[in-house]
Amino acid sequence: MKAARRIPLLKKMLSQLGIEDERVRLEWVSASEGDRFATIVDGMTEQLRQLGPFCHNGGGENG
Amino acid sequence: MAKPKVALYWAGACGGCDVAVLDTNEKILDIAAIADIVFWPIALDFKYHHVEAMEDKSVDLCLFNGAIRTSEHEKIARLLRAKSKVMVAFGACSCFGGIPALANFTNRAEILERVYKEAPSNANDNGTFPQTHTKVDEGELELPEFFDTVLTLAQVVDVEYFVPGCPPPVDLILKVVDAFATGQLPPVGSVIASDKTLCDECERVKEEKKITKIYRPHEIIPDPEKCLLEQGIICCGPATRGGCGLRCIKANMPCRGCFGPPPGVADQGAKLVSAIASIYQGNSAEEIAKMVNEVVDPAGTFYRFGLADSMLKRKRIEQAEKGG
Repeated sequence: MKAARRIPLLKKMLSQLGIEDERVRLEWVSASEGDRFATIVDGMTEQLRQLGPFCHNGGGENG
Repeated sequence: MAKPKVALYWAGACGGCDVAVLDTNEKILDIAAIADIVFWPIALDFKYHHVEAMEDKSVDLCLFNGAIRTSEHEKIARLLRAKSKVMVAFGACSCFGGIPALANFTNRAEILERVYKEAPSNANDNGTFPQTHTKVDEGELELPEFFDTVLTLAQVVDVEYFVPGCPPPVDLILKVVDAFATGQLPPVGSVIASDKTLCDECERVKEEKKITKIYRPHEIIPDPEKCLLEQGIICCGPATRGGCGLRCIKANMPCRGCFGPPPGVADQGAKLVSAIASIYQGNSAEEIAKMVNEVVDPAGTFYRFGLADSMLKRKRIEQAEKGG
């Protein structure tokens, strides 16, 4: 259950750092829910594709 | 044998690291006895052109404090690197960005706008902003460029050793000078502090880390004997390197993380998110929301000294802003 507390706090911190909320997601999937797992991964992949590559501009002057 | 040559410099810093060197008190005379100080802006009247005139690698030890905030800091970092055999990132700002790197939550344009235009104490009706080059009757004046992103020293030049702390405590400063004087410097890349976490060194009574409310330091007078985390105060001890002499803890204040991450921890902030969320009790949506709410400023608290050195290094720059 630690993950249930860690992820919301991490998301708050990442939002302060300008990271889009959609890039981190927590879902609970049972080992018997293969279809659901695949659907969630597909959905996440599609969402990330729409967001585009992650670019944090962290390196060097203006990165 | 000629005395070894030592240079000290301050870049984006408050001056506290230089004061810490002076805090060695009578030991500073020992340092002066074994070494020639060839450059030290806070204390001695050497100019940049004196350093430029030195031969490459003619300075034996350079203690460089402060983050890289402007083009001047970068230029002098490169200059001192070329002239020095051993480069030491001295203090939290030089090692991890320190307090100045909290500016990586914003950017140059926002900072200049705030400081020169919006701040209520300003009287700047002409909208004067600092320029890197200004023509006046006598010629052209030049100011260093203010960077968008605060950098650590090691992000600009190669660094042999890291001495963390805000400021580094006197015993660590003497340890560096001693190691240098006796030729017993550790392997290149070493952080000259403890290899344990602050929690490992903390003498407070630790029982069970389970909390149901987080207090900000001004909201509670902590028990001076008990673990601060167990009292609900965010203490960065679990994810901070020890060796500081527990200065804050002994003053009944929580660790703020100025010694950076301990060995094996890549990202101090992420580790602290994990630690704080782990000890908070409650699994319902309401309880979790309460915890998230009580950690008022997670990024600023967990990366207080380490943002420039963290995995993300700064707040993401929107693509549209880039190049602007």
